[in-house]
Amino acid sequence: MNLKEKLQSSYLAFEDHLQADSPLHDVRTKAMKSFEDKGFPSKKEEAWKYTSLNALLSKDYSIFPKNETAIEFNDVKKYFLNDIDTYKVVFIDGVYSSFLSQITHDVIDVCLMSSALNKSKYSSIIETYFNKAANTDSLSCLNTAFAKEGAYIRIPKNKEAKKPIEIINFATGTEAATMLQPRNLIIVEQNAHVQIIERHQSLNNNPVLTNSVTEIFLEKRANVDYYKIQNDTQNASLIDSTFIQQQRESICSVHTFSFGGKLTRNNLSFKQLGERCDSILNGVTMIEDKQHVDHNTLVHHIAENCESHQDYKGIFDDSATGVFNGKVYVEKQAQKLDAFQKNNNILISNKATINAKPQLEIFADDVKCSHGCTIGQLDPDAMFYLRSRGIADKEARALLIYAFANTVLESVKIPELKERINKLIANKMGVNLGFDL
Amino acid sequence: MLQIKDVYASVEDKDILKGISLSVNAGEVHAIMGPNGAGKSTLASIIAGKEEFELTKGEITIDGEDITELDAEERAHKGVFLSFQYPVEIPGVSVTNFIKTAINENRKAKGLEDMPASEMLKKIKEKADLLEIDRKFLSRSLNVGFSGGEKKRNEIFQMAMLEPKLAILDETDSGLDIDALKVVANGVNKLKNKDNAVIVITHYQRLLDYIVPDFVHVIMDGKIVKSGTKQLAYELEEKGYDWIKEELV
Amino acid sequence: MSKYTEDDLKKELETKEYEYGFYTDLESETFPIGLNEDIVRAISKKKQEPQWMTNWRLEAFKVWQSMQEPDWANVNYTKPDFQAIAYYSAPKAVDPNKTLDDVDPELVAMYKKLGISVDEQKKMNNVAIDIVVDSVSVATTFKKTLSEKGIIFMSISEAIKEHPELVKKYLGTVVPTKDNFYAALNSAVFSDGSFCYIPKGVRCPMELSTYFRINQAGTGQFERTLLIADQGSYVSYLEGCTAPSRDENQLHAAVVELIALDDAEIKYSTVQNWYPGSAEGKGGVYNFVTKRGLCEKNAKISWTQVETGSAVTWKYPSCILKGDNSIGEFYSIAVTNNYQQADTGTKMIHLGKNTRSTIISKGISAGKSQNSYRGLVKINASAENARNFSQCDSLLMGNECGAHTFPYIEVKNKTAQIEHEATTSKIGEDQIFYCNQRGIDTEKAIALVVNGFSKEVLNKLPMEFAVEAQKLLEISLEGSVG
Repeated sequence: MNLKEKLQSSYLAFEDHLQADSPLHDVRTKAMKSFEDKGFPSKKEEAWKYTSLNALLSKDYSIFPKNETAIEFNDVKKYFLNDIDTYKVVFIDGVYSSFLSQITHDVIDVCLMSSALNKSKYSSIIETYFNKAANTDSLSCLNTAFAKEGAYIRIPKNKEAKKPIEIINFATGTEAATMLQPRNLIIVEQNAHVQIIERHQSLNNNPVLTNSVTEIFLEKRANVDYYKIQNDTQNASLIDSTFIQQQRESICSVHTFSFGGKLTRNNLSFKQLGERCDSILNGVTMIEDKQHVDHNTLVHHIAENCESHQDYKGIFDDSATGVFNGKVYVEKQAQKLDAFQKNNNILISNKATINAKPQLEIFADDVKCSHGCTIGQLDPDAMFYLRSRGIADKEARALLIYAFANTVLESVKIPELKERINKLIANKMGVNLGFDL
Repeated sequence: MLQIKDVYASVEDKDILKGISLSVNAGEVHAIMGPNGAGKSTLASIIAGKEEFELTKGEITIDGEDITELDAEERAHKGVFLSFQYPVEIPGVSVTNFIKTAINENRKAKGLEDMPASEMLKKIKEKADLLEIDRKFLSRSLNVGFSGGEKKRNEIFQMAMLEPKLAILDETDSGLDIDALKVVANGVNKLKNKDNAVIVITHYQRLLDYIVPDFVHVIMDGKIVKSGTKQLAYELEEKGYDWIKEELV
Repeated sequence: MSKYTEDDLKKELETKEYEYGFYTDLESETFPIGLNEDIVRAISKKKQEPQWMTNWRLEAFKVWQSMQEPDWANVNYTKPDFQAIAYYSAPKAVDPNKTLDDVDPELVAMYKKLGISVDEQKKMNNVAIDIVVDSVSVATTFKKTLSEKGIIFMSISEAIKEHPELVKKYLGTVVPTKDNFYAALNSAVFSDGSFCYIPKGVRCPMELSTYFRINQAGTGQFERTLLIADQGSYVSYLEGCTAPSRDENQLHAAVVELIALDDAEIKYSTVQNWYPGSAEGKGGVYNFVTKRGLCEKNAKISWTQVETGSAVTWKYPSCILKGDNSIGEFYSIAVTNNYQQADTGTKMIHLGKNTRSTIISKGISAGKSQNSYRGLVKINASAENARNFSQCDSLLMGNECGAHTFPYIEVKNKTAQIEHEATTSKIGEDQIFYCNQRGIDTEKAIALVVNGFSKEVLNKLPMEFAVEAQKLLEISLEGSVG
């Protein structure tokens, strides 16, 4: 039985537990049908030209974990941002862990997708928002069909989440291979603010395939600051699809730090529905071995006077492969737009590969759109200069790479997180440098 | 030569000029001064025929002919030249190519053939020398990467080439150091004769030391509130604009 | 104030007829429509080709039958019915042995209309011209002067007969028959085209030029160009294209193969002005062209193109930088207006060490047109110290057109240095006013700004072509301002 067939039969079993005549069930059935029709994406599709899922799909994943596994806080403490207080929504093998979490219903909702999906008091919200931003690509559809658990966050009008929210998905690896499909829904109402950190973490080397979908809705003047930390083990793969809809004057920034995992695919899609929106997409990718990271971004400009800024840095060592496939799509009515896209890459090793496809599709004439893409190596002159000042090769290299990624690192607004990321970079490069330059 | 009669003008429904009358004769230099936002540049634009500016009332004539219905290029053909405060960049089009096109288009409007290449080159050389412009400059893209001084010098160079009847210099002194100012003013003075006229729009009297006006007009809130001789410019320099305001009240 | 508005301009443009849209009444011999093995054989027979050539065509035809028409380009059109096209059409009056003076006077009159009076060109510009009308090469000038230098410049049909060893050796080596759908079709049915060979160390003393024209209704034009620059040689080659206005779509599927051996340099310039269709989007040429060059050691190939015509263009002149230190260049201006669609760009495949490529693409979209740049820069693992610089600029006029940029960059070597930039802009109202104030009317002002925008590419064209190209830009864009 291949994975697709296994998913089909699992869905039938899953369906037995669902309320048969609910509108949500219709959504799932339709999504499942769509997945069945399309199947998993192949390299023949333009959007997957440079990323193959074949190797991942051959594993025999367990779709629903059989038994709950408890984990000790001390074992996973290091994955939390523990030097500051945060809200935490934590899942272990896709199941909510109340022990590790810290959720709230006080003014703001930081709680569970399962409650939102099943409790009647949320039904109007689910009807309004659930699956309204997500694409109909096969993997998103698959997630929609199986959507069961994840984070549900709602920040009401004029409110602010007083502390950052951490969404952490642990995979224990108790099964030989696990497939997880978390689903998050985030609604930020008028003039509300929130900071969110999302992480997927495996706790051993058994294969994990995560197919995650997050929908984020920003109402007028809402402000979202979202951080994705991707630093997983060598057999963990992640397909992360994040769909964002912005109403007027809202600002949304998403920072993606891809430091590890077998295969990581980030589908990040923004839709600007109102005037004067600002979308910020930042990313640092730093990988080695045979790791593969694919950033697939889309900023869809529909309204006037909006802006978007993309800044992606990639550093690739060993046989690592990087893909940047960024698209800016400007509708005819999206006049006075300022859209900027930048993608800079450094290849450290001769076996590393980078494939870039920065695209512009423009239908409006009064716009400022540009993109720049560079690929190169560390400047040998700069290396020599640093070494002639007595800085060892490894440290010199680390300094230059840090400087290269600095524009993105600078944009991290939570100081503790920034420090954490700096340490991650230092660790990766095997140096002990404080990077607060 | 130029008659402006009771002109009212607005931009995006905002009234800027509120009844301006001005008469400029051949051989004269008029200076127009006034605080920021008084309507100085609007006056220049409305004479040159910029589309965003709407003439709501009044009349502008050149040698007795009403020009208010004419397109900007037709006014240029009648001899109106505007030295822009912020000259526009046109990438890929050289200074030479641009002025050549402009001259020939003006000739075409007058029913003349294109200027022969040899004559064109001679004229370009002569006028470039007058403004101390070197050859390399002429092959650069129009205004792209020009310094403030280069831009203004280029404007006066074009004026020299086109030999307009009426030249309006809009804040030509802004962004110029004293040496560049002298070169530009010297160029204007050399081009000045009994058949043409110059309107100098400026904030400061500094430029008027070099281009000496016959008349000075002060614009405030869209109206000419005071006219006089060069002496008026000195007074303004010394006392600012507030005393006029007080005088008006 | 009487304004010359965008609408006025648009109206004027609509009434502006395609300047080259005359139809020359030449008596021609046209094959029955449709395509099968017999037609392929008949074309080969008609051209008195040797058996190896007939076999080559039949092989290509087999390949073509097994292929699908590609649909990945950003263009929409009704796919041509390949069985409704005549695959061979030749003006009857042509006899290859005749000299220029004997050429059909109608034809000569046609060249005059095209502004390429053969005599004049011969005298003034030192350009040798091969002219292909519908499918057949009708006049190759300057043969004698060239042959003194050992340069072979003739129609490909003649070359197949006279220089089979060269044709056999190189035909299909850069663009294999199975490369793509249209290349396969062309290989099966190409009726004529130009062949050029520059011997070792020879610098071709004049520009070589081919003028293509589709004349007959309902025909396809499938010309084949093969250009070989032997070691250390140099040639500059110009290609121009026009077609009369017709309501139905005409198909043009050419293949151009360039081979630059060690230390050789080829400069290939195209001014493509096929009939773009009417203002309502009716008719126009489908231009599906495969152009590719191969660079050996220290060789250089430079493609320059000004694309103003065709209803649909699908064209990616490319360079395979096989030899160490070889150089590929691509300079392009693509203008689309009304309902035109263009998907054009280049591929730079870096295989050798120290290979370099430059891409400068200027896209200008007006009316309801769609203009796409699609390019690939590929640095193989073997290509140490490869460099590429790409710049893709788009200019939009009006709010009903689209500009698209699809660059693909694939790098497998850490020593590569790649820089890609793209920008989008419009013609500013302040630029127009500035020109107006100097006495330049709006239409001329637009032409001036567009010329400035395209300068870097126009500069790369040989002089005679640059003037024509500038004129073409003006004609193609009249009536479009944002």
